[in-house]
Amino acid sequence: MSASDITALLPIITPAIASVLVMMVIAFRRNHALTAALTTGGLVIASSMLLVMLPLLPRQVTPLIFVDRYAFFFMGLFFAASFFVVLLSYGYFAARPGRHDEFYVLLLIATFGSAVLAASSHFVSFFLGLELLGISLYSMIAYQRTDRYGNEAGIKYLVLAATSSAFLLFGMALVYAQLGTMQFTRIAVEAAALSVSSSLPLLAGFALIIVGIGFKLALVPFHMWSPDVYEGAPAPVSAFIATVSKGAVFVLLLRYFSLVDIHRFPAIVTVFTIIAIASMLIGNLLALAQNNIKRILAYSSIAHLGYVLVAFIAGGPAAITAASYYLAAYFVTILGAFGIISVLSSAGSGGRDADALDEYRGMAWHRPWLAGMLTLVLFSLAGIPLTAGFMGKFLVISAGAGSTLWLLLVVVAVSSSIGLYYYLRIITVLYTRVPAQVPEKRETPAAGPRLSLSGGTALVVLAVLLIWLGVFPSPLLRLIKATAEHLIY
Amino acid sequence: MIAMNDMLWIMPAAPFAGFLVLALAGSRLPRKWIAAVGAGSVGLSMFAALFAGCSFMSAPPGMHAYVQVLRTWIDVAGFSPKIAFYLDPLSVIMVLVMTVVGFLIHLYSAGFMRDDEGYARFFAYMNLFVGSMLTLVLAEDLLLLYLGWEGVGLCSYLLIGFWYKDEVNGYAARKAFVVTRVGDTAFAIGLFLLYSNLGTLQIQELMYRAGQQWAPGSVLAVAAAALLLGGAVGKSAQLPLQTWLPDAMAGPTPVSALIHAATMVTAGVYLIARTHVLFTLAPAVQAAVAVIGAATLLLAGFSALVQSDLKRVLAYSTISQIGYMFLALGVGAWSAAIFHFMTHAFFKALLFLGAGMVIISLHEEHNMFKMGGLRTQLPLVYRTFVIGALSLSALPLLTAGFYSKDLILWEVWSSKSGGPLLWAAGLAGALLTSLYSFRMVFITFFGEAKTKAGGKPGMSMSVPVVILAVLSVAGGFVEVPVHFFTGFLAPAFPPVQSANKAAGEIILQIIAGIVSVSGIVLAWFLFLRSPHYDKTLSQSGFGSLVHRLWFAGWGFDRLYDVLIIKPFLWAAKVNRDDFIDLIYLGVVWTSAGINRFLTFTQSGKVRWYVTGVAIGAIVILGIVVLL
Repeated sequence: MSASDITALLPIITPAIASVLVMMVIAFRRNHALTAALTTGGLVIASSMLLVMLPLLPRQVTPLIFVDRYAFFFMGLFFAASFFVVLLSYGYFAARPGRHDEFYVLLLIATFGSAVLAASSHFVSFFLGLELLGISLYSMIAYQRTDRYGNEAGIKYLVLAATSSAFLLFGMALVYAQLGTMQFTRIAVEAAALSVSSSLPLLAGFALIIVGIGFKLALVPFHMWSPDVYEGAPAPVSAFIATVSKGAVFVLLLRYFSLVDIHRFPAIVTVFTIIAIASMLIGNLLALAQNNIKRILAYSSIAHLGYVLVAFIAGGPAAITAASYYLAAYFVTILGAFGIISVLSSAGSGGRDADALDEYRGMAWHRPWLAGMLTLVLFSLAGIPLTAGFMGKFLVISAGAGSTLWLLLVVVAVSSSIGLYYYLRIITVLYTRVPAQVPEKRETPAAGPRLSLSGGTALVVLAVLLIWLGVFPSPLLRLIKATAEHLIY
Repeated sequence: MIAMNDMLWIMPAAPFAGFLVLALAGSRLPRKWIAAVGAGSVGLSMFAALFAGCSFMSAPPGMHAYVQVLRTWIDVAGFSPKIAFYLDPLSVIMVLVMTVVGFLIHLYSAGFMRDDEGYARFFAYMNLFVGSMLTLVLAEDLLLLYLGWEGVGLCSYLLIGFWYKDEVNGYAARKAFVVTRVGDTAFAIGLFLLYSNLGTLQIQELMYRAGQQWAPGSVLAVAAAALLLGGAVGKSAQLPLQTWLPDAMAGPTPVSALIHAATMVTAGVYLIARTHVLFTLAPAVQAAVAVIGAATLLLAGFSALVQSDLKRVLAYSTISQIGYMFLALGVGAWSAAIFHFMTHAFFKALLFLGAGMVIISLHEEHNMFKMGGLRTQLPLVYRTFVIGALSLSALPLLTAGFYSKDLILWEVWSSKSGGPLLWAAGLAGALLTSLYSFRMVFITFFGEAKTKAGGKPGMSMSVPVVILAVLSVAGGFVEVPVHFFTGFLAPAFPPVQSANKAAGEIILQIIAGIVSVSGIVLAWFLFLRSPHYDKTLSQSGFGSLVHRLWFAGWGFDRLYDVLIIKPFLWAAKVNRDDFIDLIYLGVVWTSAGINRFLTFTQSGKVRWYVTGVAIGAIVILGIVVLL
């Protein structure tokens, strides 16, 4: 392994080293602020390593890892998202009793896993990355050990993720049995040479891999875990699952099935189409009568992954641009959403998160800025113009129209309008005046403590990004065209 | 010298900046600061306008116009509307009048609104209005003009309903908005028509192409001109969309002076003058403009004669005077229309501000018949108000109103598309004008005092009134005796098509003068010397019927109520629960049903979830294997 190979791996290695370093510092000195600062530093260094790596791209390092501009873009996105999660976690955990330092070790390992997935070019690195991410998440979800819901969510996620991993491994085994290779580029070449009639084991393998990936992305019908887990996990962790965890798996899906051209296998396209339609509709329909904001966000997340899947099915450079932009916009939006929940949940001493819709009633009248931000986030989720979400949805629809996926686009339109109902429902709750009550009301988190500095900063930056991406999409689009779109070359 | 064409943007930008400051921080600023920002921003824009006007006159640009292109708004498939300002003699006059009168009224408002709790809100709206109005008259592109057009409509709505706690004001505001919206819609369709046929909305280019491609009297030209006329009629409160203006008097008096007398309501006049090429290409529509003007000035003049609310008299008078401008536009006397716009802005603003001082010192008393005898109590108001009324009545030789109105009458008489009939209407209107003007003066300021006036108006209110009084007299001498005004506007407009220039102008002037003076004398006789004639007349059977008809503005409100509003409400009520709703209800029920079913699947049991994964896997495998 040459020096430039190591340099090319630096962005992946840095979070790993940082996690070890943080762990060792914890052994000597337990200090929440110090740990969080070290974690932040680690992520910043990892991001700067991206620039060090850039001149060497694209580069195959061992058969397992292929660092290219596509990986560059998404690693950057994941590091940035993790950075915001750290900011939110600090405020969130600081208000709770107990020791929180190990949480950041887990977060760094999970980020490490996501970076591996972004650059993975082999089933082995795929599985390793996935499990690095998954196993850290089990403990992150159940990190509040005394919280009944957290434990329940952690165990559910553990059992179900293990089941899905089994499907995934079996699928990989089938592909390997048929083609004798586990490297993506080789699989693409060998699969192309295969006649359609003799490719049944291969297709079965693909189908089982889809099951595994579909579980991680919470696509219908593998979605049922997500509301329980989102609800039970601490708000910053839910944010991490919704962004980095899902994003990393989607990035891998996009890379894998772009290399192995799915349009050569009509059956696979059909499967994805059905999954996308089911996810969009069922995700939005499930959220309609929900009264728990975290569960609503989980259901909405199911639908949003369905939207990105439309771009994925469309294929081609426009689709990669659309999917990348959509993910970036979705990251900003959902981090904002969970950010607000985290900030509001910092109140209770080890209490539950502020996730009941009732706690948000009339928030606009006593916390106008937070309510305004939440309104903005919900507009973005609903895809209202001048927000990031609108640009994302616009690009997805234009990519779909470019590939004449009319059925999917009709479903996008219908399900978006269904979705509008529950997003606007939250907004009306925010702006409903609560009749003057006895001072008891002060105890609700909505009237809770002042913003922590880290959480407040994160929210302000996210709000600016949210509008900026919606109003001036071209800088990010240029970046995507210069980086992520290189996947197909 | 600073290049003036780069400074045009300051005129609309200064009031917009003032609006932003007041809207964002107004509630936290002390009152002095609010007034300083509100009036100061308009003052700044006035200086920019004066500067622009002076340099325009001292060094007229080539092609008689300055253009400042700020930026391209969008650029899609050949459609690239620009945010650009266009300064030619017409817009020089417009911005000068708007900023000067606007500034004086802002100054006046600083005193008038002194005790109002919505001080900052008031100035914010007023600044937004001035900015939009200047955008309207400076726009080089019809699209930008339309933006200003809608902007002033919005501000008019906001300011009529300024005291929104009284439901009546809110209703008046909505009425103004909805009625003008009828015209705005016609205007918008006109824009679509122009763009789809001529491929641009840039005004000068559009006029050029229209002249090249459309034959005079062709269907498209007539349609386009008629649609623009629809917009103008709505904004300028002409027949048949005049009903909103009298109710618009619900707003604070400075608003009536600025928006509903001096500036916004003349936007229709400006629009027609600006697109005069189109109207020349459509002689039928242009004739309609003249007829509408003549009819409006008469109908509104009669209505003004019987009102009891001081501000409503002025409102009907405004409708009537804009009728004169339309009459002038209709016979191709473009410069005369703009001249009358200018003098009208001076004397009507003056009258409104005077009325405002009367109303405020009588504690919100609007009814003239409860006033009386104010001549001695409010001497300054009395003197300036009389000057305004004289100018409105077109007292010969002295007042500005005489010169502008006389120019209109003369050109209506002599123009090829005019004629004795229209001239006679205008002359009859002149009699009505001096009659109702001095009815107002005599009832309000003479006779015995019925209400005690309290408090004297402060400096910030008196100074603008005095300046406007001077302008109402001196404003006429920009045209007589040297024809400076029409000479200045000459590059912007084609000359009047005269038919019988020979017939002595001087004779007609003498006739007009006699009519004007006799109106004043008649008013003195009827309303001051022997008011019992008026009483017996209005109490006789036929007389009271006419009185009630005129008082209600010829019953247009009732007519529209029966013809449009009632049937519309009825249709809306009938269609409230039609079968189309079932489709949407069906969507709602289906969604709710599916939601209930799906919620059942979210049982929280892990074994159930695993079953879900397994079933999903089987289905996918099935699809892959079978397809």
